[in-house]
Amino acid sequence: MDFILYLGKWLASPRHGLALWLLIAGGLALGVAIFLLLRATPGRYRKLIVMAVTFLAGLFYIAEFFWSGTIFGVENFLSPAVQPLGDVIMVVGSFTLLLGVVNLVAIHAKAIRAVRPGWHNSLAFFIAMVAIMAAGLIPYLQEQSGQKGSQSWTAVYQILFNGMLAPLGATMFSLVAFYIVSASYRAFRIRSGEATLMMLAAFLVMLGMVPIGIYLTHWLPETGALSNLRLERITQWILTGPNAAAQRAIAFGIAVGGLAMALRIWLSLEKGSFFDKQ
Amino acid sequence: MEHPTWQITILTFALSLSVLIGIFYNRWLSGRGRSLFIRRIPGLSALDEAVGRATEMGRPVLFVPGIGSLDIVSLQALAILSHVTRIAARYGSRVIVPSADSIVFTLAEEVSREAYTAEDAADHYDPEDVRYLSDNQFAFASGVVGILNREKVASACYFGSFFAESLILAETGHQVGAIQVAGTPSTTQIPFFLAACDYTIIGDEFFAASAYLSREPTLLGSLVGQDVAKGIIIALVIAGTAIATVFGVQSGVLKGLLGL
Repeated sequence: MDFILYLGKWLASPRHGLALWLLIAGGLALGVAIFLLLRATPGRYRKLIVMAVTFLAGLFYIAEFFWSGTIFGVENFLSPAVQPLGDVIMVVGSFTLLLGVVNLVAIHAKAIRAVRPGWHNSLAFFIAMVAIMAAGLIPYLQEQSGQKGSQSWTAVYQILFNGMLAPLGATMFSLVAFYIVSASYRAFRIRSGEATLMMLAAFLVMLGMVPIGIYLTHWLPETGALSNLRLERITQWILTGPNAAAQRAIAFGIAVGGLAMALRIWLSLEKGSFFDKQ
Repeated sequence: MEHPTWQITILTFALSLSVLIGIFYNRWLSGRGRSLFIRRIPGLSALDEAVGRATEMGRPVLFVPGIGSLDIVSLQALAILSHVTRIAARYGSRVIVPSADSIVFTLAEEVSREAYTAEDAADHYDPEDVRYLSDNQFAFASGVVGILNREKVASACYFGSFFAESLILAETGHQVGAIQVAGTPSTTQIPFFLAACDYTIIGDEFFAASAYLSREPTLLGSLVGQDVAKGIIIALVIAGTAIATVFGVQSGVLKGLLGL
């Protein structure tokens, strides 16, 4: 236990210069060694190793989460390891980003080489990728080497990010407003009893949320049984009654389904899909 | 780190135990040659129809495994991808898989390749069909919209975690005339998929997909366990309502039971 804690602290302690590079090289060498070892292991045993690692990793997080206070006089010694383990997972995951970039570069390079229709879009991809990488990396590297960061590079980055990427994202997001109209038009067409009910509920909710709707029933008393017929009250009832109940029922189902799926993966019982293929 | 109260711990263990009992009970049943009934889920049954349509039209299928990172939801989406790709491989169709997360992309690549190989159609697998687009939500959405339009996909499947981009994808798919099947546990996006897609699977149907598609006794057993777990939750809801009605919402009895 003490050794695990010591190892965790040793790994998480900050390093600089040669010690940092040596640690990175050591980590990479260890990763490559594990990868080669797994490759050399026969499929049947490799599957067993993966199952054992999955089980132990799951057990670690379950034990850490449910171990509150002391159990049989033993304090939870797993919690300090959560952060370093999370960092390890993040580092391993970041390697896949490289694979993603390689995939993008391969697809777009092929499009340019073969002069496929729309090849100029692939060219734009390369220009944009190189430009934003340069604008982000150069000021960072200048800062790291102790130089004063160039203002022009920062300005280029601002133009590319705040001036182009952010507005393009906002443009895509704004399309949702138009799509909501066309999708709800189709959904609310009265074709069946259910569609009629949904249309009616949507109509009442929308009307109860705008001033004109509230005005329509403002003459009804604010208290007493008749006040329940005011449009804003009906809206509120639909939202907090049937709607909230249905949403919670779905949420419960999802939670139980997620739990079952997590158990199946943790215990390597998820068969019949890609999990048991070699 | 935060730890749960003993009430939550007991509930979680009770639900997990019911799922495990369901699994082992069904394995025992299947060992005796009996199987359990599973109701029809139209959205999942429509996957075969979607791939068949794409094959007839000679156009590709689009499968989006959500924009979430690697988690239970993405793993389930990849299990469904495996099924869809295997049918497509059998018919000699293409399945285009755009990805927003690099880890999911790596797994999707592996799943697609394995599916084509399993159907003895490794020659039909095109590595360019599994594409990493961007981890930026709307850059990814615009990439998928581009694929939908350029490739003129015949069928589109959206399974996984989705956010505001769900409607952009589903409406574009509708505009290009694709038959669309969606499934997500993101409750806020379910209405959008319901409005824009031909078939939508909701709630725990999403997690029942691998059991429904494979009919594996272990997985079917977990569905039985899920139903028992839901029964426990329903009993707790009724008991909680009764206690709150009798003693009041702010009463010490309810707060004591909930550990508040």
